[in-house]
Amino acid sequence: MNNKKIRVLIAKPGLDGHERGARIIAYGLRDAGFEVIYTGLRQSPEQIVSAALQEDVDVIGLSILSGAHLSLTKKVVDQLKSNDAEDILLVVGGVVPEQDVASLKEMGVAGVFTAGTSVSQVAQFISEQVNA
Amino acid sequence: MKDKQNNCDCRENLDRIAREEKTWQENLVDKRVQRFNLEKSPTSFYTPNATQNFDFLEKVGFPGQYPFTAGNTPFDFAKANEKLAAQMNFRPDWGGTRGVGKYGGFGTAADYRDYLKRMHSMGRFGGPNMAFDLVTQCGYDSDSPMGEGEVGRVGVAVDSFRDFCVIYEPYTGDLEIDKVPSNFTINAPCAIIIAMYAELARSRGIAPAVLRGTPQNDILKEFIARGTYIYPAGPSLRLFRDTLEFMRKHMPLLNVNSIGGYHIREAGATRSQDLAFSLANAAAYIREGVNAGLDPNDFLTKFTFNAFGGSMEIYKEIAFHRASRRMYARMLKEEFGVTNPKAMTIRQPITAHIGCSSTTLQRTLNNWARAMVGGVAAGMTGSLPGVFPPWDEPLGLGHSQEAVQMQLDATRILMHETGLTDVCDPWAGSYFMESLTDELEADALAEMEKIQGMGGAVAAIENGYMPKAVAKSAYEKQKRIESQEDLVVGVNCYTGEHEIDVTINREVEATYDPALMASCEERQKATLQELKRSRDGKTALSLLSTLRTHARDESKNLMPDICECVKNDCTLQEVCDVFREVFGEAQPVKL
Repeated sequence: MNNKKIRVLIAKPGLDGHERGARIIAYGLRDAGFEVIYTGLRQSPEQIVSAALQEDVDVIGLSILSGAHLSLTKKVVDQLKSNDAEDILLVVGGVVPEQDVASLKEMGVAGVFTAGTSVSQVAQFISEQVNA
Repeated sequence: MKDKQNNCDCRENLDRIAREEKTWQENLVDKRVQRFNLEKSPTSFYTPNATQNFDFLEKVGFPGQYPFTAGNTPFDFAKANEKLAAQMNFRPDWGGTRGVGKYGGFGTAADYRDYLKRMHSMGRFGGPNMAFDLVTQCGYDSDSPMGEGEVGRVGVAVDSFRDFCVIYEPYTGDLEIDKVPSNFTINAPCAIIIAMYAELARSRGIAPAVLRGTPQNDILKEFIARGTYIYPAGPSLRLFRDTLEFMRKHMPLLNVNSIGGYHIREAGATRSQDLAFSLANAAAYIREGVNAGLDPNDFLTKFTFNAFGGSMEIYKEIAFHRASRRMYARMLKEEFGVTNPKAMTIRQPITAHIGCSSTTLQRTLNNWARAMVGGVAAGMTGSLPGVFPPWDEPLGLGHSQEAVQMQLDATRILMHETGLTDVCDPWAGSYFMESLTDELEADALAEMEKIQGMGGAVAAIENGYMPKAVAKSAYEKQKRIESQEDLVVGVNCYTGEHEIDVTINREVEATYDPALMASCEERQKATLQELKRSRDGKTALSLLSTLRTHARDESKNLMPDICECVKNDCTLQEVCDVFREVFGEAQPVKL
């Protein structure tokens, strides 16, 4: 059993201003015992990955409701690759049509969480993946 | 004589009711609570004692009269023509006769133009009701690295006045812009879009003075919810002032704004936060107009609200609308000395509704039943019983024609088959509803006082209070769902294996073409490049430089300069960049 707190960066890439989900997940994971950093709105993939490295996080959670999830996630994945940081677990939440979930997973996203997901489900998923 | 006394609200009678209530509570309620092993009764019951000293004229009044608790009017245009509309098979194109079409937009300006043409071929003749893409809403051009992947996605991309003109190509003749209104859901760059609208009219030889429509133009709520702000709140308000002055002078038929309580609630605000924050924002806009020397009795006739509120809790939503009308009217009268009754109402397309965040992805068709509840609440609060949103709302952007048809028919069923809207404010005088309305008003007033104590809406944005309060409320709501304190059918209950997920076909024909969506960014960039190549660059630069100088002078109204800029092909981002330089940029709120 690893006693170190799992560190999570919740990030809003792109221009999408729908913050409700991201903030709920941030508060919820914090209450569930994670260390959570929330970037705030309008972060570029470069800013997100650089914050992730600086904060030495185990997990990046992207929240995207604008429909730009494929291109934005791809850029974050590329940034992680070029920074040799692919060991950081990447999860995505937001409005993601079913057919895009597979594409995201192919890119290297570990989990995709859409409307109706509970924070506890997300917390459990992250714990299992990070401690695996 | 004795009977008369028993029926009155006199002290003696109220005392008698209180005694009877106590006996009822002990003999009936408490015993059932015990029998069913409960901690307390799961229901409540209201008597005249809940509304002691209730002054009907002060609290409710008559529909269309101060304090407007019972409604803005005894009946409106739609109600007056309800039967005729049905007999004529009238199909409201969302906004009604000569109204705007359904909210939407995608792709390049040409893609959206073609979409509007297709809508026209289907008999949907409403004016453009534009959703702009996030790139435009955040004040960037389509070639900005900030906008990669987002061009044309949640709305249409507008980089320039030329784009704006392309969208309007199908609007000539019977659909000329002096006949058909437009809506613009945009805030931070709203001044630029208003300038484009005025210039479009001028370029067609039409006076801007005859243009109708509604720009959203509600920047303050962007800091609390929705998030498409650019500059800090203070200078953003100055731009609002400039648009207000300009519209009252040159475009007097145009609504000034559409103040969003809706977005604040959707972001997670409680009912009293929603009410207090929206009214605090409204007060900031009004103060700005008053400080500019404008008469609120005049300009407030063109303020609108954007379907305030939104939840499944039907009684509370009805109380919310009753309280909001009363509070707004009182605030205007007492704080701003408004006397014109036409300036004192909360004008909005529909009143109560469930809010899009009440819809569920799980067993999606159930959202039709949910939205129907909102329609009932709307019908009971003085508006068309608008069933909103279409059931496929959580499936992504672009409601299907089927879902829109079902939404429309649901509204028609409530209008014509139920008698729902035959009585104004059917809850007036209800012991329960009046006490609920008072309670909500008191909560919201306390919240407003808190904001006032901080120095008003701008201060409560800048110190992070309003956005953080909303975030916390959203989290509290989520916790209630996860603990099953709040139940959502198909999400946190009734999810057993024998439940059936009912689906129906959705036509793709009317939603946005995925092939166009995939290629729009490249095409929009090419158009922008062509504009920058072919325009008179010198003039554009010199106009931007004048704009910069004037922007530094707070007393200057920037609208004439913005009009010159757009007319001479300065791009939307170029104008916004000037303001970024002079006003600075707002910083995102952390937790």
